[in-house]
Amino acid sequence: MTTTEPSLSEAGSAPVPGHRRTPRTGAWLPTWDLITTKNLEIRKRRGLMITMLVLIVLPTILFYGLRLLFHAIDPHTYAPAGNPGLFSQVTNMTAEFGFIAAAALGAAVGTTDLSDGMFRHLVITGRSRLALYLARIPAGLAITVPLVALVFTMGCLVTSYEGIPNPTSVSMYNLTIPANLDQIELQTWLLDNPQQIQNSFLPGVNTGPGTTTAQIRPAIDRNIATLYADYTASELSGSNPADNEMVKIGLWLELEIGIGFLVGLGFGSLTGQRTTTTIVLIALEIIVTPLLARTQLPYFIDGQRLVVGIAMDQLRPAALAPPVGTGGPGGPGGLLFGGRGALGIPAMPTWAMISVIVGWIVGWSGIGAWRMITRDA
Amino acid sequence: MNTSELLSGLAADVGHAPGQRLGPGVLILAVLVLVALGWGGMRITQRVRDRRTVSKPEPPWSAPETAATGAPQSPSSRTPASPQSLPSVPPAKGPSTSQSLAGLPGSQSLAGLPGSQSLAGLPSSQPPKGGWAVETHGLTKRFGVTVAVDGVELLVPRGSAFGYLGPNGAGKTTLIRTLLGLTKADGGTMSLLGVQVPAERSRALARVGAIVDEPRFHPHLTGQDNLRLLAAARGGDAEQRIAPSLARVGLTDRAGDKVAAYSMGMRQRLGVAACLLGDPELLILDEPMNGLDPAGMHEMRAMITSLVGEGRTVMLSSHLLDEVERTCDAVAIVDHGRVIRQGPIDELVRGAGAAVVQIDCAEPARAAQLIDQAGIAAGTALAENGLTVTLPAGASRELIADINRRLVRADIDVYGLHEARASLEDWFLSVTSRLGDPS
Repeated sequence: MTTTEPSLSEAGSAPVPGHRRTPRTGAWLPTWDLITTKNLEIRKRRGLMITMLVLIVLPTILFYGLRLLFHAIDPHTYAPAGNPGLFSQVTNMTAEFGFIAAAALGAAVGTTDLSDGMFRHLVITGRSRLALYLARIPAGLAITVPLVALVFTMGCLVTSYEGIPNPTSVSMYNLTIPANLDQIELQTWLLDNPQQIQNSFLPGVNTGPGTTTAQIRPAIDRNIATLYADYTASELSGSNPADNEMVKIGLWLELEIGIGFLVGLGFGSLTGQRTTTTIVLIALEIIVTPLLARTQLPYFIDGQRLVVGIAMDQLRPAALAPPVGTGGPGGPGGLLFGGRGALGIPAMPTWAMISVIVGWIVGWSGIGAWRMITRDA
Repeated sequence: MNTSELLSGLAADVGHAPGQRLGPGVLILAVLVLVALGWGGMRITQRVRDRRTVSKPEPPWSAPETAATGAPQSPSSRTPASPQSLPSVPPAKGPSTSQSLAGLPGSQSLAGLPGSQSLAGLPSSQPPKGGWAVETHGLTKRFGVTVAVDGVELLVPRGSAFGYLGPNGAGKTTLIRTLLGLTKADGGTMSLLGVQVPAERSRALARVGAIVDEPRFHPHLTGQDNLRLLAAARGGDAEQRIAPSLARVGLTDRAGDKVAAYSMGMRQRLGVAACLLGDPELLILDEPMNGLDPAGMHEMRAMITSLVGEGRTVMLSSHLLDEVERTCDAVAIVDHGRVIRQGPIDELVRGAGAAVVQIDCAEPARAAQLIDQAGIAAGTALAENGLTVTLPAGASRELIADINRRLVRADIDVYGLHEARASLEDWFLSVTSRLGDPS
């Protein structure tokens, strides 16, 4: 490619307007201009944006699009696209892929000023390094948040308009129980149906052939709160999510992906290496977290709980978790989002869960900012 | 509640039964927290100590006796690498330093520069009318055991084009990076435009533009978008200065092209445009001629001259002596991290006695011997077509006539004498060869 360089002499002596208004570049809060221009810089990375679309938007379009198509062609074989099972699967998949995409985005945002040689220019402006770091956070979230919202809105619309009627029964622990029972009604139903309970796996209740109401009553009375929590969780996971449940799921999804971005940003700023950061975070999401979640290490259970993926799993809204007794052991329910972990770690208290999540967000942001401030440019 | 009970409570909260022994997970967590606190404390302590070190003034500088006499230094006299061991620059304070500088080859006077005053003979380096654009005292930067910037005393008068000259690896870029706060100094004090750095770094840099190393930008953005990014970081009126800056460096027509498509020369121009965004009073340009073709170099020189003409100060770092000589009013010569001379170029070259006479004669070897025995020249060297005689500092033209008379009296046929004024390059080589190679 041949380029013609303009002549400096041709440029004339266009004066640069003078000024004596010294900007307050030392302030640590980023300015609006700083955020919007950083956002522009990220958006113009075509490869990165394509990766984001492929990982976050495309799977949802494919899953719902194909299911809508298949259902239109063969409605007897293929259930409507808006069934709760597909909603749960697609949302969980978005959470997984979204975390990876957001981590890759964060790693890029945290490293490209350095790798492109712009970090030095930015520091020379005199702008506070902390402000430069903090500007990256809203600039990056302004990309992930709308993308996730778009995808989730698609899921909600399909579920709302192409859904199925709510089931009239709830399946849990090999039992089929009528839906919409309150705790007393559930207790009554369990005591009235000892024959069904003979073949169930109700936790804390000794069951077997010839089980009578009198035999199971103490155990049911003692465990009814736990059983009811499992019942409601199973009911939620098998039903079309209600509006408030949709809001919870959307917020959880945004939080999951926001964490991915912030951890990627902090870790990327620490290492200064985009590829390494991305690989490590992908490994964390798809190897380390599932391994730790599915293997309870008796003397390291609290250590396992320090992994953000596990804490986030505990926050997972019930509609996204598998029905009780069909998948992982899950927790007792009744947590912040009415959630119950889909993975195999016993439930954490709400405060511990929030501490771990906040710790990861604040910790990695702090580490990233510290490295940005102390790094040689 | 003691610590054990507190931890037990915490353990119970995170899943252990009350009274149960603490799990290793909690203990590991506690250890990690303690380690993090300890490490954080050490970092804070280190930072406080670093800050004190940087802001602590170095002791008054004084040159050794050998420097005061102006005698050439032997390689051994240069070591150890102490900032006090070189007759580099006017001292910051103290009467002894003015004495030590007297008679140095290469006047330390900055008289004649805009806003400058003579430094030689002053009890301390009196700032010129407008103050110093750059002022460092005992500035030191180490990388492990390597001293990249070694007690540098540098005074750059405002409104001048100042060359920071030295061979590759001399520490030029490191000094600039330290001045701009891109890396932390290990010792000494510095100020830009009279504002202390790093204490008031943001305020100082608001009026400084700089290119360090080769100018690199986001390649996927246009030149204009890159400048928008930097203008946003600068704040103030910088956004309004994008178009004039691009026009000034002749990039208006290519402002919408991605930087990936720019040549090296165009990136240099964009770097200068980025410098102009802050309407700087001081521009620090590190090797700005790199990658430019001859026409581009000529235009860059013209631009630097015009910038200085507007009252700005340009500090130009380069290893190209010819470029510095053509562009700058004054220079500092740096080698192995130390400033070994500084002052106006004319005075340095003249004062160093670097004028030479080329003599075309018969029997050049005998002529050289005759002149050496007479002790009237600083040095002689046999050349291809005769003899080259280096005149001592401050020698008048009468000396050339005297040499001619002596040769004729000695029956040596003289075919021609040609006086040649040494260039900065000659002088630089002369200085560095006298200093020798400390490595």
